[in-house]
Amino acid sequence: MSEYKHPYRDAEFILNELVDFDALCADAGMEDINAELASVILTEAGKLGSDVLAPLNEVGDTQHPQLGESGVQQTAGFAEAYQQFVEGGWNSLTPSEEYGGQNLPNVLGTAVNEIWQSSNLAFALCPLLTQGAIESIAHHGSDELKQTFLPKMVTGEWTGTMNLTEPDAGSDLAAVKTKAVPNGDHYLISGQKIFITWGDHQMTDNVVHLVLARLPDAPPGVKGISLFVVPKFLLDENGNPSARNDAHCVSLEHKLGIHGSPTCVMSFGDNEGAVGYLVGEANKGLAYMFTMMNHARQGVGLQGLAIAERSYQQAVEYAKERLQGTKRDGSRFAIIKFPDVRRMLTQMKASIEAMRGLALIAAAEIDRNQYAKDDSSAQQHNARVELLTPIVKGWLTELAQEVTYLGTQVHGGMGFIEETGSAQHYRDARILTIYEGTTGIQALDLVGRKTLMNDGAHLAELIAEIEVTVSELEASDQFASQGKALREALEEGKTAREWLLRNAPEDAAAAGSISVNFMMMFGYICGGWVMGQSALKAQALLDAGNGDPEFLTAKLATAQFFSEHLLPRVKANLASIQAGSASIMALNEDQF
Amino acid sequence: MAILVIAEHDNSTLKGATLNAVTAATRMGDDLHLLVAGADCGAVAEAAAKVACVSKVLVADNAAYEYQLAENISRLIAELGKNYSHVVSPATTNGKNFMPRVAALLDVAQLSDITAVDAADTFQRPIYAGNAIATVQSLDAIKVITVRGTAFDAAAAEGGSAAVEVVGSVHDAEISSFVGEEMAVSDRPELTAAKVVISGGRGMGNGENFELLERIADKLGAAVGASRAAVDAGFVPNDMQVGQTGKIVAPELYIAVGISGAIQHLAGMKDSKIIVAINKDEEAPIFSVADYGLVADLFDAVPELESKL
Amino acid sequence: MKVLVTVKRVIDYNVKVRVKSDNTDVDLANVKMALNPFCEIAVEEAVRLKEAGTATEVVVVSIGPKACEEQIRTALALGVDRGIRIETEDSPESLNVAKLLAKVIEEEKPELIIMGKQAIDTDNNQTGQMLGALLDMPQGTFASEVQIDDGKVNVTREVDGGLQTVALNLPAIVTTDLRLNEPRYASLPNIMKAKRKPLDVKNPTDLGVELKAHTQLLKVTPPEERQAGIKVGSIDELVDKLKNEAKVL
Repeated sequence: MSEYKHPYRDAEFILNELVDFDALCADAGMEDINAELASVILTEAGKLGSDVLAPLNEVGDTQHPQLGESGVQQTAGFAEAYQQFVEGGWNSLTPSEEYGGQNLPNVLGTAVNEIWQSSNLAFALCPLLTQGAIESIAHHGSDELKQTFLPKMVTGEWTGTMNLTEPDAGSDLAAVKTKAVPNGDHYLISGQKIFITWGDHQMTDNVVHLVLARLPDAPPGVKGISLFVVPKFLLDENGNPSARNDAHCVSLEHKLGIHGSPTCVMSFGDNEGAVGYLVGEANKGLAYMFTMMNHARQGVGLQGLAIAERSYQQAVEYAKERLQGTKRDGSRFAIIKFPDVRRMLTQMKASIEAMRGLALIAAAEIDRNQYAKDDSSAQQHNARVELLTPIVKGWLTELAQEVTYLGTQVHGGMGFIEETGSAQHYRDARILTIYEGTTGIQALDLVGRKTLMNDGAHLAELIAEIEVTVSELEASDQFASQGKALREALEEGKTAREWLLRNAPEDAAAAGSISVNFMMMFGYICGGWVMGQSALKAQALLDAGNGDPEFLTAKLATAQFFSEHLLPRVKANLASIQAGSASIMALNEDQF
Repeated sequence: MAILVIAEHDNSTLKGATLNAVTAATRMGDDLHLLVAGADCGAVAEAAAKVACVSKVLVADNAAYEYQLAENISRLIAELGKNYSHVVSPATTNGKNFMPRVAALLDVAQLSDITAVDAADTFQRPIYAGNAIATVQSLDAIKVITVRGTAFDAAAAEGGSAAVEVVGSVHDAEISSFVGEEMAVSDRPELTAAKVVISGGRGMGNGENFELLERIADKLGAAVGASRAAVDAGFVPNDMQVGQTGKIVAPELYIAVGISGAIQHLAGMKDSKIIVAINKDEEAPIFSVADYGLVADLFDAVPELESKL
Repeated sequence: MKVLVTVKRVIDYNVKVRVKSDNTDVDLANVKMALNPFCEIAVEEAVRLKEAGTATEVVVVSIGPKACEEQIRTALALGVDRGIRIETEDSPESLNVAKLLAKVIEEEKPELIIMGKQAIDTDNNQTGQMLGALLDMPQGTFASEVQIDDGKVNVTREVDGGLQTVALNLPAIVTTDLRLNEPRYASLPNIMKAKRKPLDVKNPTDLGVELKAHTQLLKVTPPEERQAGIKVGSIDELVDKLKNEAKVL
C-alpha cells in the first residue's frame, strides 16, 4: 500500500504558467476566483484524498462489492468516505449556482478531480459518473426534471449513472434495444444494460439512472434513441425517495481491475416496468450523449494521468528504499542509483508532466469556449476542444499503460506481488483505454470527425500554434536542441496530416489503418509542445529568482528527457502511417 | 550568580528527571540551588539535599504548591529567580507548564528542551521534531531553560550535603484549582502510541509463545506487535501486524524477535529511535537496520532478557 | 461567550525539513506551508464550542507577513467568524508573540483563548503559558478535554504518566494536545464563504508593543545520522547498551 500526496507544485505550475488561470477567471467574469483560491482548494482536497480516499484504494481492490438481497453492498468504508466527500461539498465544484453548485472553472474541477482519481480510482468513478448525469440533465432536461433531480445530485446526496451499453450495443450504440413505452406522464422502460459503473450501492438514498432506450415508433438506428431519467426510488410529492422503481442490479461483473467500483448488469422493467422520464426531446438521446462526450472523455484521459501519478509515487518511494546494490566496502545502496531505474522513473515523471499539462490545457479550452465573449472565439475554442479531446482520452490512457507498467517494473519481483500495491495500479489502468470509447474509437474520431471533416483545418491551427513555441525554443541558445527536435516532430506531423488528407479519399482502409499512430503521434507532439512551454516558463522563473529552484530545474530536466526520449517516437509513428494500409489489410480472414 | 534548578517531584519522592537537569545546570555554572516547591514535601527536600553538586535546597512547603499549579508556582519561581543567572527545570509536562510563565514574569525568553550546553549562554535544542538542531544564544540576563532529560546523564543522587533553607513566600493566584487526576494503569499501550514495542515473527513458532514477549511488555510498559508472517501463520490477530500493510510504529525502542525483516515489515518500523533485533539467523536483513543485534535462539534469549530487566 | 484562537503558519508536516548548506537555518524557500496542526485542533475546538451554542463568536489571530492570511482563511473556512493579522516581517519570538496577543486580547476581551500547545517548527511550547502570565489568566495546557461550566472551564491535561484535570476561572487560556479532537476538513462551500469573512490587519506600533530580541540563532545543523548498528554478544551486553548508551530503558 502506498501513500498518495497531491503533486500540488506541478498542478499549480501548469495552472499558473501554461493555463494562465487568473486571466481565464478574469475573462470569464469570475470575481474573487484566482490562483490563490485554487491553491487553497487543491490543498484541502489533497487532504481528503490522501487521508480518507487513498487508504481505501487497496481495500476496494481486495474487498469487492457484493450483490445481496437489497442490492449492491459496496466495499466497507466507502460509504463513510463518500459521506465525507459529500459533506465537504466536493461534488458541487463545477455545477451551476442555480442548483447549489459553486460554478468554478472546469479546469479547476479537473485539477481537483485528479486528486480523487489518484487517491482511489474505483471510488472516484462514482462522483465522475454523477457529474456526467448532472450535465445531461442540466443541458437537456426540462425545468421540472432539473428542479426535481439536480439539487440532490449536485450535493452528491444522490448519485448518477450512465446506462448506454447493452450486450449487443457497445461501441455501436445504434443497436440499442431497451424499450420505452409511454404511460401517462412517464414512460415504462424495459431492457437490460451492462457495464453500468456504480449502477447500485447503499451509499446514498437514491441513484439516478440515465438510460438510452427506444420509443415504440422510433426510427431505426442512431436517430431513434431517446434518453430517460430512471430513479432507483420514485419520489413522493415532497420529492423524497419512496417506492422502489423496477430497476435492479442483477449481476456484478468480475473484472481485471477497479474492483472497488461495482460494474453492474442492470435490468429495467423485469416486473411492472421501470418508470422513466424523457430527457429533452424524443429520438435525440444519442445527440445529447455527444454533447457530454468531450467532458466525459477528457475525464477518462485525466484518470490515465491520475493512475500514472499514483504508480509513479509508489515506484519512487520503493526505488529510494530498496537496497540492492553493494559497494566495495560492503554497504548497500538503493536501486534509484541505477541508471536503468533512473530511465524508468524519469520516463514516468516526464510522461506524467506532459499528460498533466495537456489535460489541463484541454480542460481550460472547455472554459474558454463556455465563457467566450463572441461567437468566433467560441467556435475557435470549441474546435480546439473537439480536436484535443480524443488525444487527451487516447494518448493519456495509452501512456498510462506504459507508466503503470514501468511502475511495476521498477519494483522487480516485488511488483508482481499484490501486497506491494503496484500491481493494482497496473490492473486498474487497463480499463482506461477501453471504456468511454476505446483507443481505436478515439483515433477514428480524431482522423475522421475532427480532421477529415474540416479538411484538416483545425489541426492546421493547432500546428500553427505549436510553431510559436518551436520558434521561442529555437530563439534561445539553451533550448535550441529542444526547439529543433520539436520542429522535426511538427514537420512529421504536417506530413502525416497531408498524407491523411491525400490518401483517405482514395483508400477506404487508410484512415482506419493509420488512425492510432496518427493519434499517438499528435499526442507526443502535444506533449513536446507542453514540455517546451514548461521549460521556457521554468527558465523565466529561475531567471527572475521566483519559485522553487529544485522544482524548476527538475522541470528543465524532464522537458529535455521528453524531447530526447519520447518525442522521437513521432518518427516511428510517421513511418507506420506512410506505410499505409497495405500490410495491415493484406491477410484474408482465413489467414488469421 | 547561582543557578536555580526546579525539582520534579510528587511531594513524596524526588523524580529522576531532576538529576538530569542538575547535570545540565553544572555545565552552566558551579553554584547550584535546588527548589522544592510542594506541600508536605519534606522527604523530597531531604532527598534533594543529598544530590551531588547542589549547595543549597530551597523548600517552599505550602498547600498552594501541592499540585504545582502553574499560576501559583510560576510566581514563586519568578520571585526567587530574580537573584539567579539561570533558572532550570526538567522538560517534563510540569516544567513545560510553569516555566514559560516564569520567563514571561521575568520578561525574558525561555529556551525549551535543550539537549546540550555550549556555553553559559549558548545552548543546543532540537527543532522541527528533531530534524534540525538549533544553536541558540540567550541575550537575557536571566536564562530560563527546560532540559531534555535523555540528553544528559543523571547526577549522583547521593553524596551531596546541601543546606536546606525554608522559603516563606506564599503565592496563591486563586484563579485555578486541582480537580483530579487519573494516572495510567498497567494496561499495555496502543501499538502506535507505545514508547516501546516488542514484536514477534514466524520464529516465535506459535501463538502461545507470544506470552514470552508479553511478559517483557508488561515490565517495559510496551505494546506487542507481530510481523506479517506471524499474522499469516495464525499466531496472532492481524491488528497486531506491524508493517507496510499493518500499523506503522516509531517508538523509542523497537525490539524485533524472530523477525527476519522483510521490506514490508521494515517499512512499518524503520523510524523507531532504537531498534533491537534478536534472531538466530545472522544473515537476517533485520540486522541491517538494528542498532543492537543479538544472534541467539530467541527461546533462550527472551526469558533471559525478561529476567534482567 | 467570545472565543479567540491563534494560528501559526508553519512548514507542512509532510515536508521533509532540510537544513541550509550555510547552516543559518532550515530551508523554507518555496516549501509548502500549512496551518500548524496543534493550531488546527484549537480552531476545531473553538468551532465546536460555537456549534454547541457555547461560543457566540470565534475570532482568529495570526502574526506574521501577508502570507499568514492563507492560514487565517483556512481557519475561516473551518468555521471561524473573523480574522486579525498582526503585521510583522517574520515570525517573532514567543515572548513578543505573547505581548502582541495580550494587547489584542485586551481589546477583544474573549472569555476563552484556545491555542496550539506548540508550533511544529520551533517546538517551543511557550506562547500560551507566557500569555497567561502577561494577562494573569489561568492556563490549561496540553488539553485533551475542555468543558465549560458555570463561569469556569474544566481542562483535562495530558501530563507525564496520565491525565490531570484542573478548573480555571474565566477568562482562561487552553493549549491543545493531539487527542483533544480530530479536526474536520474544510468544505468547499466554506472555503468559498471564507473569502468574504472580515480580516483586519494591525501592526505592533498600533498595539503599542515594541518587539525585542531575547535570543540569537547562531546556527542550525542537521541531526546526527543513524549510527551503523552493532552486534552484541549477550543479553547482559544488550541490557547494558540499552540502559547506558541508548538510554531507552
